[in-house]
Amino acid sequence: MAKRIMITDDALFMRVTLKNILTQNGLEVVAEASNGREAVELYEQHKPDLVFMDITMPEMDGLEALKAIRAKDPNAKVVMCTAMGQKQIVVEAIQAGAKDFIVKPFQPERIMEAVQKAA
Amino acid sequence: MKAEYINPFISAAINVFQMMVGVTPEKGQLGARKGIFTSQQCNIVLGVTGQLEGQIIIGMSIFTADKIASKMLGTTIRTFDELAASAIAELGNMISGAALTELASRGIQCNLSPPSLIRGTNVRISTLEIPTLVVPLQTEMGDIEVNVGLSERAK
Repeated sequence: MAKRIMITDDALFMRVTLKNILTQNGLEVVAEASNGREAVELYEQHKPDLVFMDITMPEMDGLEALKAIRAKDPNAKVVMCTAMGQKQIVVEAIQAGAKDFIVKPFQPERIMEAVQKAA
Repeated sequence: MKAEYINPFISAAINVFQMMVGVTPEKGQLGARKGIFTSQQCNIVLGVTGQLEGQIIIGMSIFTADKIASKMLGTTIRTFDELAASAIAELGNMISGAALTELASRGIQCNLSPPSLIRGTNVRISTLEIPTLVVPLQTEMGDIEVNVGLSERAK
């Protein structure tokens, strides 16, 4: 199972919530990014096992960041976690290589299910 | 503005409040305004672009915002800090995201801007004369006002 996780979300509340769920389940959060551009940089530095990625973010959105990360590391595991559940966006993310797509609001179990599935 | 555009926001708000705050809001009387503005103290503002364009404002009192943020964070808020502001803003993001997802399933594709939180009184966004529908939602933590000002993009 993925152990070293990176969280990307512009909302501090979501980063704290996700971090609590992950650390309470024995996982390590190695990096936190607040936009897509930061996520691409921090991915290079930390090479996490799994990335949680919001979509609507300033500077660079999560779909662009997903594509940029997967272009550099085709084995990168990215799970989208966003309030926008439109079919068109889900399809675009999965085609770009996202492992899973979680729509907010979510239950903590849904996060852990994604971690196990992505392993 | 068509009433069918506000209904997804009402049902999304009820769902998100149940899941994130643990309360079930009661829907009040629907109202209409000529432009989008708010007389609430704490407002989440989100922009919508795409087939519909305009703005969503979800307003509440500072007292209500404190109570909601305390519930979301699982701890009593002493000062309304960045984390509390982010929790309230994210509530608006989840409600609007779910509503736009519902509109997309009916063939209306829109995008959402990241939320901004504005605290103060009598905030008027005077550049936007978008006919707006307003629905009050009553909760045990205080009233929430959902303002939806969306118009079809000129072709």
